[in-house]
Amino acid sequence: MTTKLARWIFVVGTLISLVLFLGLTVDTHRQVETLTNASQLSPQVIAGKRVWHKYNCNDCHTILGFGSYYAPDMTKVYWRRGAEGIKGVVRNPEKFTTWRKMPRQPVTDQELEDLVAFLKWTSEIDNQAWPPQDQKLRPATGRAVALGVSPGAVLFQEKGCFACHKIYETGGLLGPDLTHVGSRLDYQTIEKVLIDPRSVNPQGTMPPTQLSHDDLDELARFLANLK
Amino acid sequence: MLLNYTSQRVAYPYFVIALLLFVLQVVVGIWLALSYAVTIPQWLVDILPFSTTRAIHTNLLVLWLLLGFMGTTYFMVPEEAEREIYSPFLAYLQLVLLVGVGVVALAGFVFGWTKGKPLLEIPFPLDYLVVVGALIFLFNVGMTILKARRWTVVQGSLFGGLVFLALMYLFNLPFYSNLSIDWYYWWWVIHLWVEGAWELIAAALTAWILIKITNVPRELVERWLYVELGLFLFTGIAGTGHHYYWLGAPRYWLWVGGIFSALEPLPILLMIWDAWHYIRNRRDGLKGRLVFTLAVGMSILHFVGAGFWGFLHTLPQINYYTHGSQVTVAHGHIAFFGAYVLLNVMFFYYAIPKLKGLAEFDERRGTLAFWCMSIAMALMTLAFSVAGVLQTYIERVMGLGYMTAQAQMRFWFAIVVVLGLTLLIGVVLTVVDLLTLRPAKAATVSP
Repeated sequence: MTTKLARWIFVVGTLISLVLFLGLTVDTHRQVETLTNASQLSPQVIAGKRVWHKYNCNDCHTILGFGSYYAPDMTKVYWRRGAEGIKGVVRNPEKFTTWRKMPRQPVTDQELEDLVAFLKWTSEIDNQAWPPQDQKLRPATGRAVALGVSPGAVLFQEKGCFACHKIYETGGLLGPDLTHVGSRLDYQTIEKVLIDPRSVNPQGTMPPTQLSHDDLDELARFLANLK
Repeated sequence: MLLNYTSQRVAYPYFVIALLLFVLQVVVGIWLALSYAVTIPQWLVDILPFSTTRAIHTNLLVLWLLLGFMGTTYFMVPEEAEREIYSPFLAYLQLVLLVGVGVVALAGFVFGWTKGKPLLEIPFPLDYLVVVGALIFLFNVGMTILKARRWTVVQGSLFGGLVFLALMYLFNLPFYSNLSIDWYYWWWVIHLWVEGAWELIAAALTAWILIKITNVPRELVERWLYVELGLFLFTGIAGTGHHYYWLGAPRYWLWVGGIFSALEPLPILLMIWDAWHYIRNRRDGLKGRLVFTLAVGMSILHFVGAGFWGFLHTLPQINYYTHGSQVTVAHGHIAFFGAYVLLNVMFFYYAIPKLKGLAEFDERRGTLAFWCMSIAMALMTLAFSVAGVLQTYIERVMGLGYMTAQAQMRFWFAIVVVLGLTLLIGVVLTVVDLLTLRPAKAATVSP
């Protein structure tokens, strides 16, 4: 091999990787808005992130799997403990820990509310279903199974559909009453409405839902059965 | 006097401080392992939480390795450029500044003054002072090279790596409101340091030492250096994707990260191969074995730690279960030790005898210390790995909960404590030996 060839290997190898990496970085910025629900990044969520940094939580806990490994991962802690559970542990860590301790820290009530908002937002990041051990607690399916309620019904509530739609005597008045929607529309049509409402009713004001494939199926099945 | 340029002397205080911080880092590390193995009482946790000591452990690592790199650069550049350092005064000023920032930062951690981002905890405005220190350093080295007007690939790779290193640190400065974006750029600092910029520095320093001790033709070494650098950057830059699997980035990172990082061991293998090749085809007789031993030990543990242990959990199908577990800890320890700790130690054993005017020195203590450190670190990696496999299986596969897994791992952390103490003995021996090198006895001098 000549020095010239070696230099070309260096230049071309580096450039290919660099161009690919920077290109995908631009695209990631585009997609991450949706994947992380960036529109939900309220001032309170951001304040909560600052609280997370202020108390150096990340040098014991991982979040998104990054940080220190001394304490449980916080990515989906909102699913595991809920708002009140998180507050309880931060206020009185000594009551919740056994042989490995968490420090008591002077976190104010406001900071705690912000922190919970941040952790709730974090739990909703679409991150390829990581970590594996927390997936059984996903709000849409896990809780429904635990309560014996249809997962679609839980989704209907959690995705805020009640804000506009009514089922039996519960819900808002902005959209149509869905108590008997299954006798008017079939499964396929409902699924189409959920993906893109305007494809069925061009004059409608309903926003498109952003559901995973499984959630879409659960919610459409639930609605199609309301006869 | 064995120095070709008197300004190479500025390297010595860098080495001494780096070595002392190394000892401190290991002491703090033993405390961390102990915190996993036994119960630390609540009152002590309230005063000195694990998070604080962990920040100290990792920042000491970064600080001493960087001071080591800076010292080695100041030692090497005059010989490569064939001229004195542009300004020895700036070199000392920069050392005082960086060590000052380091001491204030470490003390600040104890009082809760932190940026709260793992490994990059140094808060504002100290982080900007780090940048000032880096700029002084780059200016000083850059001017030395520029004034000399002597271009070599080794020097170019070293300086390129240092500029790359400083540039990436800038991504740590802003506040990112989106957690996913925050981690996305955190890896631009951490990954592109250790699998990019630092590898350039390591490759350059290794190539330079090999030229010096084996006297193989520079042209041959520099040719392979180009190929190594190309492979490091080809696999390393896009390989950053192996950190983007689970942080809320698009799915294609599973492919990009998986494929490119699976290739990351290749340049390290090439480094082992050519180190062997040069040593076998050396043109000079052996002037002392220890630097050779360190060069070979470094290449092998670099490959085992960064290459093999990294490859084990880099594919997304495996990483889904091992991500953020003690498997990462095992990889981190052996990779840093093999790639960067031994690199620094090798360079210290090359440079310090010359700074002290010793043509040859008694190598027995140093050799013993090398084996003590390396064996302790290798076994410690195995202990972390067993803990990591237990954690992966119990917590992630069976879903039995974090603390259930930790209870099963405690025994292995007790082992880590013992191995940590063994490592400490090796480290103290290395440091004492380097600071009190004695001339070789006449009988042991090879012709």
